Formats: sequence, structure tokens, C-alpha cells
Amino acid sequence: MKVYVKLIATYQRLLPPDASGNAIEVDVPEGTTVAQVLLPYGVPLDDSSVIVLNGRMTDLNTPLSEGDTVAAFSAIAGG
Amino acid sequence: MYGWHGRLLRVDLTERTASIETIDPKICRDFIGGRGVAMYYLAKEVDPLVDPLSPENKLIFATGPLTATPAPTGNRYMVVTKSPLTGAITHSNSGGDFPTWMKRTGFDLFLFEGKADSPVYLWVNEDQVEIRPADHVWGKDVPTTTDALLAETHPEARVACIGPAGENLVLMAAIMNDKHRAAARSGVGAVMGSKLLKAVVAFGNKNPPMADEAGMRNLSVTISKEVGVDVKKGSNLREYGTAYVPQVTNTLGILPTRNFLQGTFEATSQIDGVALKNTYLIRHTPCYRCPISCGRLTEVPEGKYKGKGEGPEYETIASLGSACGVSDLAAITRANYWCNELGLDTISTGMTIAAAMEMYEKGYLTEEQIGQPLRFGDADAMIAMIQKMAYRQGFGNELAEGSYRLCRKYGHPEIAVTARKQEFPGYDPRGSQGMGLLYATSNKGASHMEGDVAYEEVFGVPVKIDPLTTEGKAALVARFQDAFALIDSSGLCVFLAVRYVFNKDVMIWPIRLTQLMNHTTGANYTPEEIMKAAERIYNLERVFILKAGSTEDTLPPRMLQEPLPDGPAKGKVVELDKMLPEFYRIRGWDEHGVPTREKLAELELLEF
Repeated sequence: MKVYVKLIATYQRLLPPDASGNAIEVDVPEGTTVAQVLLPYGVPLDDSSVIVLNGRMTDLNTPLSEGDTVAAFSAIAGG
Repeated sequence: MYGWHGRLLRVDLTERTASIETIDPKICRDFIGGRGVAMYYLAKEVDPLVDPLSPENKLIFATGPLTATPAPTGNRYMVVTKSPLTGAITHSNSGGDFPTWMKRTGFDLFLFEGKADSPVYLWVNEDQVEIRPADHVWGKDVPTTTDALLAETHPEARVACIGPAGENLVLMAAIMNDKHRAAARSGVGAVMGSKLLKAVVAFGNKNPPMADEAGMRNLSVTISKEVGVDVKKGSNLREYGTAYVPQVTNTLGILPTRNFLQGTFEATSQIDGVALKNTYLIRHTPCYRCPISCGRLTEVPEGKYKGKGEGPEYETIASLGSACGVSDLAAITRANYWCNELGLDTISTGMTIAAAMEMYEKGYLTEEQIGQPLRFGDADAMIAMIQKMAYRQGFGNELAEGSYRLCRKYGHPEIAVTARKQEFPGYDPRGSQGMGLLYATSNKGASHMEGDVAYEEVFGVPVKIDPLTTEGKAALVARFQDAFALIDSSGLCVFLAVRYVFNKDVMIWPIRLTQLMNHTTGANYTPEEIMKAAERIYNLERVFILKAGSTEDTLPPRMLQEPLPDGPAKGKVVELDKMLPEFYRIRGWDEHGVPTREKLAELELLEF
């Protein structure tokens, strides 16, 4: 199934060089979780990251569905 | 005294005299400094019912005990006054260099009262204080004024001044310092303009001694090292400034878009920090001795938006970008420069134009009334409006009153997205419930800077919590409001403070900030005592605004009745009624939001 990985700001550089912008489409097996889809990119899976599924809070063990977007960014505030 | 100078410079503009007063050490301790001590003086000396633009209002510049110390980001000052935009209290905060230079004059506070009979500026070189004519810079923009006053005072001094917007009493006029930094919100520049005070120029080399200099240095170095480690790992703030935030808020569906008609903006990638870095960024520019360095020096090198300056930061991108439907980063950047040069708050300026755009799109305002079309996305029209606002020309005279008054005047108050008549900043609270409670209850009206629970709801600092729920938000907002009163009063910057000097719990707690304060002042605060002082400040502001008639803790109908139509927060409104009664209870206020006598007695505020 196809899902999207969106890595924001400093995390954008964790995407492969051929990615355009801050998101890529990836093909993953059924049952793939939020944590598993992020694993190849080296996103820290701890409190130093904010990770959301379709823009909402999520458990890292949540299995993904077709078309989902997992987004991550470094937890540093500012606005 | 340690930490505080314990000296106030009182400037009577009517009489053109300046006098030096001692600040009671007990007042310093009980109200911390900065915002708190300034609020004490305002509450003591100003009738809450005063016309904010009359000579009877007072304008206070205030540094804190940590301003001009080794504490990282210890370089903020506050402007405290009664706001002409909100009719309530305001405390507007800025960094740059000026705050440290002001503290080094040997005064904690500059208090301005009365009104000059012709334009003046204040030149303070330690105890050499002059109230000088400013006719020659009246009407001039911020950079021109700054350069002229440095040339006639001291080349190494620092200037805070108003631009044409402040002179013309525009209700969202800022006080700019170091050309590009703004004590922006609530019309503090208009209060300065109403007094015919064009600028304040500061220079000196007087710092109060610290109680424990070695302890202060050790703790400051420890904190700076922690910041350094994070910067090395990759800091969004260092690399992109706050301009990285549009991607975050867009992802969460809370990026104000087309006057809050939407929560996501299709062109976010064209206006965010990555785009800025790839186009107009020259380099990052820190406030004085700041290890974070979130400022941006930028240049649009050519074309009709050609210019050079600082910004845009996140709030500006949200207000002059997505909220106005503008996707041209060059235009947003130039619009930011215009606001800085003319002395305007970019948040209220952009959000007011956004409201006018919606009115125009819906046919509530005509081309004839505005003088030109004003569609969402029309960057040139937006820039034209900014210029007209600053000079109150044509329709700019209507915009200069802010969106609350504009929308009411033209029969559609529901279009204005304001709380206490002040425009919202860049977080749509329908997708960030705690921010909704914050905006509704803030003493200075809608502002993220009075207790920014987006730190947790949006940014995961120090802990990530669900932005869409209401549980626990009442206690969280109260804690953050008090914590921000403490940060503002101490002289630190919130960017550092929340992450590095509070405990990393949901209910943040100021162990390290208390240590910094004690090393500086020798006051031997406990964290409980210092948070009690912060609560005292917050409640004193509350007492003032209630007496001023600003009694409604509410949000506009768009937030309470119109669900977000798109994005992750689709279908959500702010569930204010679920949070507000609990908030009042936690605060020790009655069911109408009035501090009880018991609470005021506990905080030693019965005299107010």
C-alpha cells in the first residue's frame, strides 16, 4: 500500500536526495506501523521528535492504512 | 541591591522634566521585575478607565533582573501600558540589543507620563538624561530615525522608536528597536505617539552587581552548552528561524488561512523557512549574546519587492501570508520590511487586512469604499493597504482601527477574529483547544505570548499533548500564564526559558529559573514563592482589566460555532464552555471570572 512520509524543517534532510520537497510516497506492506515507516530515515523515535499521523497525535505502534501521511519534526518550539 | 538597580527614571513629558526614584526592594521582590514591577506602577498610578491615548495614560519600559546578565537570552524588555486597541492592559516584549543597553543606563524602568507639546526624544547616557526636540525626525520611518538619532547622540547607543504608524495613532502601531525588532502588540506605538515621544536612546555601562556571580556563570554556561548540543544536532530555530513553523501548523491544520476560513494553506511550501533559506536569507541574526539566534537577515535582491531587512518570522508569514491568501514569499518579505519601517505590528496588520479581504470577497465592502479591489491573494493590494494604514490615508484610516472596529462599522462583526479586540496570532485554536482558552482569557487579548501552550499542543516542548482535547487544559493554561509572567518579568526570552530553564514536565516548573534569579538577586526565592509572585502579577493585571471594563472571556463566533472545514482538525470548534469554568475555579476566581477576596488577600493585592 502507498503511504506518505513528510519530514519537516531539519528532518527534511533525512529524506533521500531524489525526494522533491518535504514528502515522499512509499510502498509498504500491510500492517506497517508509524514507527516502522520512519525507521529507514533515522528519525529519532523519542521525545525529541513530534510524530503525527494524518496531523493527529498517534501511538508509534499504530498500523498504517492506504493513503496515510506520517509527519515528523524536531521538538523545538517557536512562533 | 543585587540584580535590580532599584531605580526608576520618571519622565514627565508635559513639564519636560526627568527625575530619579528609588524602587522599594519589597516591590522588586514581590513583582520580580520587568512586566511585574511595571504593572505595579501602572496599577498604582493609572486609572483603569483612562483613555489610553490621553496624557493620563502612562507608558513604561521595563527590564528584568536577568536582563544584561550572563543568563542566556537575558536580553528582553517589556512595554507596559493601557492598550488603545484592547482597552485592557498590555505588555509587549522585545529583544535585539536595546534591552541590555537600557539596563546598562542604570535604571530598571523608564516611566513616561503626560504629553509633550511638540515631538521629543529621550536620551539617557547613565545619569545624563536629556529630553530633546524630535521635530526633525517626526514623520520619518524607523531606519531613518534610528540613524539620525545615533548620529547626534552616540554611535554605540541603541534606539527604540516609533514610525509614522505610531505618530498617526494607528491602533496596531509597534515600538521598534534596533530597527528591526518590535515590541509589537496592542498599539504600544500609538501610546508613545500620543505623547509625542518619538524615540528613546540608551547608552551606559552600569550593571547592578550579582549576588553570586560564580554560580550565575556556571549555570549560564551549563544552559548554553545544552543549547549548543541541540544546535549541533540540528536546530529548527537556528537553521530556519521561526519561519519553519508554517509546515508544522499546516500539517496540524491550524495555519490561519484566508482569515481563518481554512486551517491549511495549499502554498505553504512556497512561504516557509526552507523556501526562505533557499531564496532571500543572508544569515541568522541573534539578539545580544543569544545562543539560539532565530533572527533572519534577508534581502529580496530585485524586482518590485526589492528590499533588505529582517524577517519574516512565523507570525508574519501566517498573517501577511496564508491569512491573506498570499503565496509570494518576496511580497510577504517586503510587506514585513514595510511594517518594520513604518512601525506596525505584523500580526494585527495582516489579520486586519485579511478580515477586510473577506469582507470584500463577500460583498460587504466595495471597491468604491476601499478605493481598489482587495481579494485574497492580492499581494500588491495588501502592501498598498499597509502603507495606507500607517498614514491613515483613505481606507487605511478604517484599517488602522483594527478588525474588531472595522467589521462592526461595516455591519459584520462576525468576520473579526479577535479576543479582547486584538487579532489572533498564527494558531487556529479550533485545532489547539488550549490556545483557545488562552486567547479568551489573556489579559492583553488574543496573544500566544501570554502563556503559549502551543509549546506542548503543537511543538512537543517539553512534552507533547493532544491539541484536540480539552481535558487538563484549564490547569495547563493557568500554569503557562503564570510561567510566562515570570519569564517576562525576569527578562528572559521564552524560546530559551520553556525548553531549558523549566522542568520537563507537562506542568512546567521553574527550578532553574529560580536559581538564575537567586544567583542574580540574592532574593532566596523558592520556586513556590516565585510562582506565587507570577500569579500575583497575573492577578493584578486581571484586576486592572476588569476595572477597565474588559470583562468578557470569549472568542468570536467563527471559533465557537463554525467548524474548521478542512485538515486534521476538520469539524472542530473551540469547546470553551468545557474549559472556562474549571479555569476560573483553578484561578481562585468566581463564576464571572472575578478574583475572589480570598485570592487577592492570599496574593497581597487587596490594596488594588
